Amino acid sequence: MNENEKVIEIKNLTKRFKNLTAVDQLNLNVYKGDVFGFLGPNGAGKSTTIRMLLTLIKPDNGTIKIFGKDLQKERLAILKNVGSIVEKPDFYGYLSAYKNLEILGRISGIEVTKNLIMKNLELVGLESRYKSKVKTFSHGMKQRLGIAQALLHDPELIILDEPTTGLDPMGMKEIRDLIIHLSKELNKTIFLSSHLLNEVEMVANRMIIINKGTTKVEGEVKELLNKNRLFVTIEVENPDTALDVLKNSQWISKMKNQINATFEFNIDANEIPHLNKFLVEQNVLVNSIIPRRSLEEYFLNITNGVSNV
Amino acid sequence: MFDLISIELYKIFKKWRTYIGFIALGVLVPLIHIAMVLEGKNTIDFMTRNIQESFVFVGNLLNTYLISYIILTSLAVHIPFLITLVAGDLLAGEATSGTYRMLITRPISRTKLVVVKFIAGLIYTNLLVLWLAFLSLVVGYFIFGTGELLIIDGQMIIIFESGDVLWRFLLAYGFATLGMTAVASLAFLFSSLVENAIGPIISTMAIIIVFVILSAIQVEFFQNIKPYLFTTHIMSWRLFFENPLDINEILKSAANLIIHIVVFFGLTLFIFRKKDILT
Amino acid sequence: MILILLFILFINLNAQTTDPNEIVNSVITKFNQVKDYEVDIEIKVDVEFLKVPDSKAKLYFKQPDKVKLKSEGFALLPKDGIDFSPSSIIKGNYTAIFERTETLDRYQTSVVKIVPLNQTTNIILSTIWIDNKNFIIRKVESTTKTQGTYTIELFYDDEFKYPLPKQMIFSFNLDKMNLPQTFTNTTPKSSRKRFKDGPVIGKVFVNYSNYLVNKNLSDKIFEDEKK
Repeated sequence: MNENEKVIEIKNLTKRFKNLTAVDQLNLNVYKGDVFGFLGPNGAGKSTTIRMLLTLIKPDNGTIKIFGKDLQKERLAILKNVGSIVEKPDFYGYLSAYKNLEILGRISGIEVTKNLIMKNLELVGLESRYKSKVKTFSHGMKQRLGIAQALLHDPELIILDEPTTGLDPMGMKEIRDLIIHLSKELNKTIFLSSHLLNEVEMVANRMIIINKGTTKVEGEVKELLNKNRLFVTIEVENPDTALDVLKNSQWISKMKNQINATFEFNIDANEIPHLNKFLVEQNVLVNSIIPRRSLEEYFLNITNGVSNV
Repeated sequence: MFDLISIELYKIFKKWRTYIGFIALGVLVPLIHIAMVLEGKNTIDFMTRNIQESFVFVGNLLNTYLISYIILTSLAVHIPFLITLVAGDLLAGEATSGTYRMLITRPISRTKLVVVKFIAGLIYTNLLVLWLAFLSLVVGYFIFGTGELLIIDGQMIIIFESGDVLWRFLLAYGFATLGMTAVASLAFLFSSLVENAIGPIISTMAIIIVFVILSAIQVEFFQNIKPYLFTTHIMSWRLFFENPLDINEILKSAANLIIHIVVFFGLTLFIFRKKDILT
Repeated sequence: MILILLFILFINLNAQTTDPNEIVNSVITKFNQVKDYEVDIEIKVDVEFLKVPDSKAKLYFKQPDKVKLKSEGFALLPKDGIDFSPSSIIKGNYTAIFERTETLDRYQTSVVKIVPLNQTTNIILSTIWIDNKNFIIRKVESTTKTQGTYTIELFYDDEFKYPLPKQMIFSFNLDKMNLPQTFTNTTPKSSRKRFKDGPVIGKVFVNYSNYLVNKNLSDKIFEDEKK
């Protein structure tokens, strides 16, 4: 991984708005070919960071390098190779989808042909509506058109800020599939910001979680998941017996919740068989054991400052 | 650069609000023409009543020149308003529609973006004044013909021979364009500060109206600052209807307007380059 | 004897009459040779409050008082100078008073004062310089009720057989004009141009050429053009 070139390198990035520090000494690296998950709860500073990456906002401190070039100094050369959606994509509603793409393409300085535009519209499933004015589009259609404009000039780096917001599950899946296609088949580097963690879990290989403008965790998705304890839900036949037994054991400290016959534990993966063995030996009748390997818990914990979990 | 300007013009002329100005003039000017057909003679009699006591005169004084002059005078507030409708929307409109994000994340410098939009705004301004000139002079010509131009300047009555008028109008319209460019620059500046076109339109008109009112107050302080206000010089197109031309005054007025344009545009550029785009 | 008779005859012939009415009538009689005329005129205006280009026009006259000014372009003439026929200067009921003789421009003239008896006329008093030998009016000075005083100087071509001038200089003295405020005072500097309070002096120069006299002009010429 480290052999790959760095596509994005952010060092000590800081941005203040009046009394609020939106981004505070942020550091992160994105490598070529990454699908990089940029996670944080609402208000964490994700949008601000992305806007700084795209020169919509000027940082107060810190440096941003993209493709090894300083963003402040070589902005035009960099942006020629970057496609993006920032929050919800907005277009010139009084113009058609086709015209919007044509204008954006011309501003990007690429040769805009009918073929190119239609190809991109096809990619996002909007070719039949190319003549329609964008103001008639649904939110989902605008989102898809947003992706089309991000890809129009065939950029190496694609920055997507919450690309599935407002989409139905089908739409979300389409976007996820597209991201995977872009990454795997077309070798694009993707910087994906989201607060929908299962989404990131499904597509990203590296990720960072930020909160209050600072990095909480950065690393490979797999690695970060493994570090974590799991939430294991155990359903039993005789909950009273189980409770008595647990109360007098070391396992009680790891029990987080009980609802009727369902007990929730926070334990390492390798502890599961031991817990199971303990319960069975104490005549607890175990119906099911369900571990949840979900980033969601991790995310919630991290962002709420619950350490060691 | 031309491609970008043509894109901006395309966007401007795809919006219905752009046509308000052209339609408004297209209705107002013919209305004035109709009024002049019906009441024009009375207007001239009124203007010349004192001379008529002592003089006999013949001539077609009710001609397209007089009427174009009256139109240009009367529309001192209307035309700036029509200019701000578009100029105030040039930048603020992008904020309102949320398209700043699409634009500024493209490989185009902010400077270029501002320059291109400004030029597009200027083209609109020129077209609107050109339209006014056409409606006044050309359409007026077919209704009223040409003749001598009679104007009252202070306490002088000046009559220009018909052959001595057209070039004055051409320069006057040119100067009017300069004045309207100053208005457009101010609206453009306000447009860079806000996220909605209404703000720039109202602010620009408010400033124009306040300056005009202050200029009319006969208090020494206001009379002292009056020569520096750009609103004073918007009406300087009238200087082309003097005999002989006071080149000095014309140049001073032009300089005043140009300075305002440069300052307004410069500020806009400065603000826009530094601006954090949060919309 | 013959010499004395000749001398007396000579004196009689040259005796200038001082009867003002006789003087006036002789002028009118002479002018009545002219039944009508049309003439090309060039007008130059030199008045403080007026900036007007020189203009060209045609002037038509038919006895007793029909006058018409026509121009392809534009023309401006003082009302009191458009008709310089004696009968227009000396009209209505009046009292004529012989004042003196005066040499005006090498011409011997009788200076006659005309006092209109008609209350409705605008003129309070006129002074007329009448050329004794040629029975033409060389100068008029009139004081009006509302328009101040004006002076008309008439210059003739001595060779011309009709008593029609080749040039008129009309000078007047007006009280300050009150111009309508409609289109005034909006240039930055127009406030600086204020005329001194008091009467305004002006001159209008009219040159006459190509007289066509007694050509039997039709009355239609003098009708107002119907629009």
